[in-house]
Amino acid sequence: MILRGVRRVALFFLALALVAAVWEFYIVVGPEKGGEVFGMRVLPRASGRAMPHTWEMGQRLFDPEVRGQDRPIWLAVLGYSWYTFRMALAGFAIGCVFGMALAVVMTRFRVVERGLLPYVIASQTVPLIALAPQVAALGGNWDLPKWTWVAALGAFLAFFPVSIATLKGLSAAPAASLELMDSYAASWSTTLWKLRFPAAVPYIVPGMKLAATAAVIGVIVSEISTGVRGVGFAALTYAQKATSDPAQVYTAVFGAALLGLSMFGLVVAIEVFAMRNRPAEAN
Amino acid sequence: MTFGKIIRAVGPPLVFGAIFLGIWQLIVEVFDIAPFLLPAPSAIWSEFLDRSDDIIDATLVTGANALVGLLFGVVFGIAMSFVLMRYQVANELVTPLAVALNAIPIIVLVPVFNNMFSSTSEVPRRLMVTLIVFFIVMVNVAKGLRQVSATHLELLHSYAASPREILVKARIPNAVPYLFTALKIAAPAAVITAFVAEYFGGRQNGLGYSITSNAAASRNAASWAYVIGACALGLIFYLVAVGLEKAVSPSQPQGSTQQPTGGLTPGGVSA
Amino acid sequence: MSVRGSTQSVASDAVVVDRVSMIFNEGKSNEVEALCDVELVICPGDFVSLIGPSGCGKSTLLRLIASLISPTSGSVLVNGKSASQARVEQDYGMAFQQSGLFEWRTVEKNIELPLELKGWSKSRRRQRATEMLELVQLSDFGSHMPWELSGGMQQRVAIARSLAAHPPLLLMDEPFGALDEMTREHMQAELLRICAASETTVVFVTHSIPEAVYLSNRVVVMSARPGRITEIIDVDLGADRDEDTREEATFYGKITEVREALRGAETTDEPRGIEDR
Repeated sequence: MILRGVRRVALFFLALALVAAVWEFYIVVGPEKGGEVFGMRVLPRASGRAMPHTWEMGQRLFDPEVRGQDRPIWLAVLGYSWYTFRMALAGFAIGCVFGMALAVVMTRFRVVERGLLPYVIASQTVPLIALAPQVAALGGNWDLPKWTWVAALGAFLAFFPVSIATLKGLSAAPAASLELMDSYAASWSTTLWKLRFPAAVPYIVPGMKLAATAAVIGVIVSEISTGVRGVGFAALTYAQKATSDPAQVYTAVFGAALLGLSMFGLVVAIEVFAMRNRPAEAN
Repeated sequence: MTFGKIIRAVGPPLVFGAIFLGIWQLIVEVFDIAPFLLPAPSAIWSEFLDRSDDIIDATLVTGANALVGLLFGVVFGIAMSFVLMRYQVANELVTPLAVALNAIPIIVLVPVFNNMFSSTSEVPRRLMVTLIVFFIVMVNVAKGLRQVSATHLELLHSYAASPREILVKARIPNAVPYLFTALKIAAPAAVITAFVAEYFGGRQNGLGYSITSNAAASRNAASWAYVIGACALGLIFYLVAVGLEKAVSPSQPQGSTQQPTGGLTPGGVSA
Repeated sequence: MSVRGSTQSVASDAVVVDRVSMIFNEGKSNEVEALCDVELVICPGDFVSLIGPSGCGKSTLLRLIASLISPTSGSVLVNGKSASQARVEQDYGMAFQQSGLFEWRTVEKNIELPLELKGWSKSRRRQRATEMLELVQLSDFGSHMPWELSGGMQQRVAIARSLAAHPPLLLMDEPFGALDEMTREHMQAELLRICAASETTVVFVTHSIPEAVYLSNRVVVMSARPGRITEIIDVDLGADRDEDTREEATFYGKITEVREALRGAETTDEPRGIEDR
């Protein structure tokens, strides 16, 4: 089992190395000013400015953010990523709580489910992120700090997948078990806590995975609208300095990657804990 | 469907929607909320009608990016899925990468792409959409190609079917529902990605740009009007995907029980 | 048709089903008359099997006794109270074909479930659960998860759960239906042993004639839809039945008697009177 895990990690790094190799290869063979394929300008520029070498990206991590500072940029980027992480985590947690609460209400009152579910499902198909600037505008006029609004948008995006997944899970309790609770004359809320919720866990967890991704992206994009200094903001700012400092933006990309993986790791930890007593699913 | 059933299905959502809009309008009027804070639904609607030409233009720009990215992503995704099915090594290399990329907000690469191509090109945004759609489609279709039921495989082996025949007769038909599951996630994701990519700089057209610039200039009602366009675009893409599924496999159970994987979804799309 | 003969129902009866009819979806296009004018009295300590062709309403009758559904007409008394009252006071335990164990609870915690709902203290629950595990001979499996157990073992846990609160009445809906023949016969013997030890009245729904005869002291034969009781056969194989009982002539005789009653129930719609054999 451990050997399999080690093998997977090794293959992952091998895959990364291959990607880096392809990158470097293109730098060598690719056209300096970009090129055309079938008349469409789709080949990126292979110049040192547009595509710095991978080792230059690595090296850049250790140089300061602004010339003259002492602190290497990787510390700064880590700080930005940590900030974004906390907002995303807050958004994720709040979104989960409210999403599950709505699912409970929808399970209890079928009218609410019939009335709201179409909107909840439709929300999955539209860019909710479109509301980010509005949230920024609203937030600017109340006296709450900006980061609350960023986290709020993350919560808004995380809310919907959790709601749908929880609703599905709450109605997945086997009929025989529901009859059993009936035979005990158990109240609706007792049945909810002792049967429906535990039975719903295998459904809620995948919803949480989606919610975590959504929260992260929601927070990163909101940073741009509100100017909150997280890793998304950093990426955009560094990119604007690409002509003078081409490798800098990649440090922010690495920071964002770390953030995403941390969030993912957190949800996987939740999954392992929540499913610890369950039979292993056949894959 | 009887009339009664239709009312039962459509009634509650309409009632909830009407109540919501009514309360919104009431709050804005009663509390005299300034338009730069929260515009009234009536104001949004009138802006929408006034600017409908611009909104349509912006929608077309974002929509075109989403569509191009969607098409390329689907084509490359399907192609790569065959490679993953055929070569276990490729599968083992690509899958952990796909899982990791699913977790990472790769949307932050848009500024990088803007540098790699010119910032007046639509290619960075289309490339981003292609990437995201590619992974969704590739992972799901590969799953469909590989996870054919053991019974079916045994049956074909007993007919001494060649690998190619097995591919055509069993794997590809098995993979079709997985393709549509992926498409129903990828289509809205394409719109969302095309949209979000506009926040990260580049050309100043498209819905994302219009929403941000209007909001920044405190023209909130106008900004919301563009939001309506974005929602409409997303819904259209999703409904087209659903329609395609119904057209190609009308007898398949919609909302299949397969768990889709690799959903890179900035806006969040259900599994 | 009265199945009591001359005696009246007594307050100490375990279950009294009084002229019960059950119609599903009354007045709609998919109306179904599941039970028609059913009367049945069950004495404390009885082991009564309900047997009949598919759709004869035996599961419906069981659920009426359990007060999971309400009759369209007529009444059900359990332990002298109305069936719904009996349910609220948890006067019966129930077991189904699927063991219905909660897969996220250990075996022990599954057995404790009805006791939790009764508000028992943790130590009292633990003690009773240990007792029940011993009763069904699964003492070593308390901290296992249900999916680690075989089908037969899971059903034993389900039975232990249904008896955990020591209810006077046990209602079972084809609990051994999903088990193979060997396990099934073994479980039947186990059930008899357990019920003798706990002095429970049992109402048992089954498809299997040998099972009904082996387990019960009365077999209630029901007709096809609309369900009626066509005959009640007394089975007098003695209190200490075992594997050898299955090979006795009286056992086979009773099986034949039940089978013929069933054939009669399948072909005619009219209820027959009690026959003294």
